[in-house]
Amino acid sequence: MTEPTALAVRTVGLTRTFEVGETTVEALRGIDLKIEKGEFVALVGPSGSGKSTFLNLVGGLDRPTAGELWVDGMELGASKEKALTEHRRRRVGFVFQSFNLLPRLTALENVALPLMFVGIPERERTDRARDLLVRVGLEERLEHRPTQLSGGEQQRVAIARALVGGPAIILADEPTGNIDTATGSEIMALLRHLNRDGGVTLLLVTHDPDAAAFADRVIQLRDGQIVPSREGEPEGSETAAAAAGTSQPPPMGMEDRP
Amino acid sequence: MKLRDVLRSALGNLTRHLARTALTTVGVIVGILTIVTMVSLGIGVQREMMDAFDSVGLETVRLYPTTEEVGAYDLFGKPPRTALLTPDLVRDLQARDDVIEIIPFLNLPRSMQMTLRLDGQEILADPRVARPAAVPEPFETPPETLAGVEEPSEEGGSVVVSDEVLEQLAGAGSDLSEFLGREIEVVLYAPRGESQTYRFQIAGITSGMYGNLTLSTADRLAMLEWWYNDPEYLARQGYDEVLVRAKSLNDAAQIVDWLSNHGYEVQSLKMMLDMANRGMIILQTMLGSVGGLALLVASIGIANTMIMAVYERTKEIGILKAVGAAPGQIRGLFVVEASLIGLLGGIIGTILGWLLGKLLNWLILEILHWQEVPVQGTFFVVSWWLVLAALAFATLVGLLAGLYPAARAARLAPLEALRYE
Repeated sequence: MTEPTALAVRTVGLTRTFEVGETTVEALRGIDLKIEKGEFVALVGPSGSGKSTFLNLVGGLDRPTAGELWVDGMELGASKEKALTEHRRRRVGFVFQSFNLLPRLTALENVALPLMFVGIPERERTDRARDLLVRVGLEERLEHRPTQLSGGEQQRVAIARALVGGPAIILADEPTGNIDTATGSEIMALLRHLNRDGGVTLLLVTHDPDAAAFADRVIQLRDGQIVPSREGEPEGSETAAAAAGTSQPPPMGMEDRP
Repeated sequence: MKLRDVLRSALGNLTRHLARTALTTVGVIVGILTIVTMVSLGIGVQREMMDAFDSVGLETVRLYPTTEEVGAYDLFGKPPRTALLTPDLVRDLQARDDVIEIIPFLNLPRSMQMTLRLDGQEILADPRVARPAAVPEPFETPPETLAGVEEPSEEGGSVVVSDEVLEQLAGAGSDLSEFLGREIEVVLYAPRGESQTYRFQIAGITSGMYGNLTLSTADRLAMLEWWYNDPEYLARQGYDEVLVRAKSLNDAAQIVDWLSNHGYEVQSLKMMLDMANRGMIILQTMLGSVGGLALLVASIGIANTMIMAVYERTKEIGILKAVGAAPGQIRGLFVVEASLIGLLGGIIGTILGWLLGKLLNWLILEILHWQEVPVQGTFFVVSWWLVLAALAFATLVGLLAGLYPAARAARLAPLEALRYE
């Protein structure tokens, strides 16, 4: 199912429950949410609030139990495995907390890897991967393996890999969780730059208020539901700083870094 | 996903765990080695046999007189013949238009004492069982003609002797061709105390092999008549064997049918070849199943290795799925990896099997020569189709062994695989 839309993500009563032994855990309980194309949205909330579950559903790594989930005009809930693979290839790009790079591949090979599965010739793969690594500031690190790179550099490689398939949405799950604060800010600045200048929609899951502060909009989750932030505005639409519980503005001068 | 990428990835994974790959391959190597050696033995022996039979001609039918069952009490007597190979039968066969040639044989009894005499010198004669050129035996080299003709004329009166005879009778170093046309005497000694002398012209000289004297059928008959003191010997006993050369294999089969229906004991080379082939097939099946068993065990080893690889690479599989690998592509990666293990084992096994064949061939010939059996030949032949079949089979074994582990890898839920540490 597809629909013409200006929305990057739209969910209606999105629900995900897990069977853990005898008990049923409700990770998401009827999420209604709209994310515009080109928006930078941060999902925040305590552990177990369902924010990662939501991200995985949008990324097609998991399937909803009930409700509708539209990503870039396609309904994912009823999709076949093949359609989900296609979705992961072309519409979304993942950035993980633990980078998830393949240790025996170089930075260049890691970034080029997703293109291998779509059958793009090696030369073109390498060219595109190199361009992206230059864009994230790693032109000096092309032939390095992950173990030879710092945490921040590894995450840049991961971001380049997420971008290589030309996705509509980047899904970042705690991208600053495994790196120090200063580097984390650089990574966030890079993501916001890609969002502002590259036009890619950004969905960020974090419980780092500093990271959330970079977003256009912060949505707070608790117990699988969106927390209404203000009267009359049930869908999280508060400002980033307020929701993240910080009064700090985004650090100046960072957003324009490549 | 390009095949090149799949192969490179699979090779990368295999070379990362060299020791494990090598150990897993051993089973395939042993299995393929056994099969290649066995099948190459089959091919070699069959080829040697075909060559040998071909030189004789498969259209040849051998005809024997039917004899009565020999009882326990007259084991040493000559069993009475019930269907004789008479000159009439020979004429009948000669009249058939599907027969090219017909050669009757008369065997001299082993107990017949016979000497050769030249210039007053006398030595023991060892008559050849039959005219060698008429019936080349499979796997036997016929004696070489050194001077004159190969065989005495059928009318009688001449003989072919071996060079050893002349050496013994006239001394070493004599020129062989000088003896051609000279007279030589053959003396028969009967147990009853009489002796009979036959005079022959030396018509040919051969190397010594399977006897030192070739007599014509006519002269054999004369000797048998004297030996048994029976001028009607041929009418009473018939020939000992008749060789019929048919025009074609088909004609040979028809002649066999016709003769069997008339109560004769028939043996065609085709029948012998068929029997030999059946024996070879049984041998090959038995030895082949040893290799098959080794391959079965090898496939379990490959499956085990691949299941371990899936466990080890669970997280990697999760990452690959997250960046867009389809289940089929994951399956393909693992199946190709398992097939490569099979192929690798196949290549090494085929090479080792070929070398083992060479070694065994050399060993067999050495032993035979040491035992003075004059055999030459290649009994282990690795043909190109055997190489291809062995490689394909080894790869198939790997592929089949990889199916289940690969299916497991393909089925992994991406989220759980990603969380796996």
